[in-house]
Amino acid sequence: MKISVNWLKEFIKLNDDAQSIGKRLGAGGVEVASVTPAIPAFEKVFVAEVKSLEKHPSADKLNVCQVDVGQGKLLQIVCGAANVRAGMRAPAILPGGKLPDGTEIKQAALRGVESSGMLCSAKELGLAEEATGLFELPADAPVGKLLREYLGGDDQLIEIEITPNRGDCLSILGVARELAALYGKTLEKSDAAPVKTAIKDSFPVGIQAEQACPVFASRIIKGLRADAVTPLWMRERLRRSGLKPIHPAVDVTQYVMLELGQPMHAYDLKRLEGGITVRMAKQGERAKLLNSQTYDLQPDLLVIADKSRVQGLGGIMGGGESNVTAATTDILLEAAFFTPAAISGRPRRMDLLTDAAYRFERGVDPQGQARAIERATQLILDIAGGQPGPVAVVTADKTQIKTQAIRLRRARLASLLGISVPDAEVTAILTRLGFEVSADKEGWNAVPPSYRFDIEIEEDLIEEVGRVHGYDKIPALQYPSRQGMDRLPEARVDLRRLRQVLVERGYQEAVTYSFVDHALQTRIYGQPEAALPLANPITEDMTEMRLGLWPGLLKVLQYNLNRQQNRIRLFETGLRFTLQADEIKQENTIAGVVSGPEFPMQWGEADRTVDFADLRGDIEALLRPASLAGRLESQATPHPALHPGQSARLSLGGQELGWVGALHPQIVRSLDLPQGALVFEMRLEALLDGKIPAFEAISRFPAVRRDLAVIVGEKVSGAAVLAAAREAAGSLLQEVRIFDIYRGLGIDSGRKSVALGLILQDSSRTLTDEDADGAMQRVADRLARDLGATIRD
Amino acid sequence: MSTDLTALVAEAKARAAACTTLGALDEARVHYLGKKGVITLELQSLGKLPGTERAAAGQRINVVKQGVTEILDARKTDLEQADLAAKLASESVDVSLPGRGHEAGGLHPSTRVMERIQTLFERMGFRIESGPEIEDEFHNFDALNFKPDHPARAEMDTFYLKDRPFLLRTHTSPVQIRSMLKVGAPIRVIAMGRTYRHDYDMTHTPMFHQVEGLLVDEGVSMAHLRGTLTDLMQRFFEQDDLKLRFRPSYFPFVEPGAEVDISCVFCHGSGCRVCKHTGWLEVLGCGMVHPNVLKACKIDPERYTGWAFGIGVERLGMLRYGIDDIRMNYDNDLRFLRQFQ
Repeated sequence: MKISVNWLKEFIKLNDDAQSIGKRLGAGGVEVASVTPAIPAFEKVFVAEVKSLEKHPSADKLNVCQVDVGQGKLLQIVCGAANVRAGMRAPAILPGGKLPDGTEIKQAALRGVESSGMLCSAKELGLAEEATGLFELPADAPVGKLLREYLGGDDQLIEIEITPNRGDCLSILGVARELAALYGKTLEKSDAAPVKTAIKDSFPVGIQAEQACPVFASRIIKGLRADAVTPLWMRERLRRSGLKPIHPAVDVTQYVMLELGQPMHAYDLKRLEGGITVRMAKQGERAKLLNSQTYDLQPDLLVIADKSRVQGLGGIMGGGESNVTAATTDILLEAAFFTPAAISGRPRRMDLLTDAAYRFERGVDPQGQARAIERATQLILDIAGGQPGPVAVVTADKTQIKTQAIRLRRARLASLLGISVPDAEVTAILTRLGFEVSADKEGWNAVPPSYRFDIEIEEDLIEEVGRVHGYDKIPALQYPSRQGMDRLPEARVDLRRLRQVLVERGYQEAVTYSFVDHALQTRIYGQPEAALPLANPITEDMTEMRLGLWPGLLKVLQYNLNRQQNRIRLFETGLRFTLQADEIKQENTIAGVVSGPEFPMQWGEADRTVDFADLRGDIEALLRPASLAGRLESQATPHPALHPGQSARLSLGGQELGWVGALHPQIVRSLDLPQGALVFEMRLEALLDGKIPAFEAISRFPAVRRDLAVIVGEKVSGAAVLAAAREAAGSLLQEVRIFDIYRGLGIDSGRKSVALGLILQDSSRTLTDEDADGAMQRVADRLARDLGATIRD
Repeated sequence: MSTDLTALVAEAKARAAACTTLGALDEARVHYLGKKGVITLELQSLGKLPGTERAAAGQRINVVKQGVTEILDARKTDLEQADLAAKLASESVDVSLPGRGHEAGGLHPSTRVMERIQTLFERMGFRIESGPEIEDEFHNFDALNFKPDHPARAEMDTFYLKDRPFLLRTHTSPVQIRSMLKVGAPIRVIAMGRTYRHDYDMTHTPMFHQVEGLLVDEGVSMAHLRGTLTDLMQRFFEQDDLKLRFRPSYFPFVEPGAEVDISCVFCHGSGCRVCKHTGWLEVLGCGMVHPNVLKACKIDPERYTGWAFGIGVERLGMLRYGIDDIRMNYDNDLRFLRQFQ
């Protein structure tokens, strides 16, 4: 909300300038977004009168005007506005002047006719966002006066942003009250004096929804002048607060809302039938509102209805069948207290975020209705005349007004803030804030003012005292540690170490959104039934929670490949979300994508595209901190996202760990990638559970290395060869590795040669040739028997 | 005596000098000192001399033999050194060329910030806790004292799951609740991770990271909160003169509540474009844990008090590393990521 400092100063006398007032408000807890001049920066703009005009000789839409700007002689100004007419008063900017957008006005000829300045619209002067013609000024606007002075001089606007508990600050009065407490001053204006009633008429009001509408105040005013116009000062104040003038009665209700914080509504009395009922909407009910839209009403909406129809949504927006129009002469003013619970959430749901709803959702003063009616009546009588009836206040529920005292203990105040505030100051602060305070030996009892319904418990009072006393008086202290050292489980692998493993291997960490595109995700994982869609996704390509990290990483791959990056190594850690047997499972996951050359371009290594074994090496590196690399099992298994010949399901001790493989060419094509890629994804938890190293004695006897090359069928896996060799070699085997795989000349097609290197060693003696030969023979026999291997000479 | 021994030494000297390889030198050695060598033969012929001359002749020949041996040995050393020098010369490398293998990557700036804060708090004995990102209303709102109809709840811009009573956590504060319910008081924890709000524009991304801190114990005051946050900010930015400003604010789960500004890390408070010429930067929200929150976690608010804070990780990263657009964090452009090694 934008607060005019001039308006504010009608309520509280302050010597400070707008900047200082803003700082004080901020230190007290009302955030100040900006402090700006109320009138935009324009120069040499005067109140002018169009004396006469004639058509421009060579341009249909232009008029050549003779304009009086109070300089004794008339100026000739060419004007293209449609509403220009003789006798009209409007602002004129003279040559040498400047508009807020920086445009400098010069003496110029328009289509051959000299023009000594420009007649201005409100938009051109930065006074409105839209304008259809010249900014028409009242007929009594003094010709020749600087427009700035005419509009009220140098006012400043303080734009405040309140926290949701401080609805009481959403008015000039509210901010003035807050400043009075912060500055230790008293308010200037007291309650508006009741207007003398002229007629006895009142309109019947019944409240059915008592909890939702505890108070409903109304007043009839008859005989408004139909030709009344809202005075410029009021229109200008509305504008400064971002509101548009509509009709004097409506403008007054808006003005009172800004001034006192009580939203109001003015009905055309003649368009209401019978009496008013305040109730919840009925199933199937519809209503046309002020914005000319018709809405289907939900039963949680509060409505104001007359005998024939719903005439408005209480606290949100008035109706479109009983609103004030140019023809209105008799009105019914409404000022009600709708509770926050009755309004909350509905305006957003219906996309009706009105100023009234904003205030009711945060709560208005439950005792401010009659005052608002009196103030509005006074203003309406001043502007449009009329005969007011009595103020009719219907109170349905008195429990909303809290009169219970809240206890504040001196010791608690000191222990929570960490400072002691002198007793007299505590009493003074609470009193200035409008509390009824009584002090005793151990503390205070305080009854909050009706508009501070956010104050409920002792801690709320402590905050009030603390914030007015000043948070900056609280010192910085260290809380003494009472706890010993925390546990440090050594077998647990720190996630930071795992990330470092990949970083050292050239990976860059990515962070992608947890919600992804449904179509892409289904193409990748092929199990749409496991995905969790969002009720309110923010964009069309972030509609459901990710089933894994590949959709996000592949989008990043695509993004970077499209930006001349051809070597990609990215990883991510984070939760994946799956629905399993109707349970939501959130599992920590680590995943990566690699594409392009395995190594950065360099002189010392042949340029080689990353392959399955490279990625497998990265995966083993990730398993090493938990000592799991030797236990990794990988099974060639198809996956919707992966190349059928380069796809493996990973597991540890039979428990699923994840997947690794090359992207399926169809995925590569559908993402329009210029090159292929490999991906992996693993459950993170499985990689974090390691073990504490346990020393084993080192053999003092020499080890023997023996090699063996066998020819096996293509389908025989390396893992099977190794497992058979390991088992057959027995206890002497220290290590066995595959050091070569060969296909081609000398090997039948469909078969491959696998070369094994075995390290044999005994812990108690030096091995003989016979020992080693025996072990190698067992290995050869086993490979021949179980895997159909032949020995390659 | 058939040979002129004096001439022999001179001849050997010339021949050794002419040898350019160890092989040629070895041939020369055989020529002079081998079994059938010139000098060996001379020594063998001594027996033919009369006994009176024998001793003197033998002495002369041995002097010559020693001289020739020294000449050959010296030449051998020379040739070996030249060989070694040539071998070493042939083995030299261009030491200026870059090394082989992988070049390390790096962590995402948000992770970098979180790991840094984690380290600072681990040093103070805080335990790291985590929680789910799909949360329920109880942990995200109810237990944190968000009343059902309070605008604070609506202002959270929450993502909800379709057809299920769950939401995406709007802050890391639910981890406070889970930790307190698990451990009770006293407790000191931090929690970090992804949070979600339905907001996407120049300065907001629908997902971002928070770090949450919580300390509940006997006699904990707002002064202790100020102490820890002052340390955190000064250590994080490595600016010992960094100032903190507490402004009253409202979060349903704390009372009193505050927003904290730090003196601008770029201009040190004198005013610049980043701090919009205020000298201050808003960085976090905090306060004393609301009694209703302690009660919801079965902790007696009369015995225990505590503080809590929540920091936006991206905000800190942007200030620390000078990132000027929050959305860069989620584009994952390699040219951006590679700047964080």
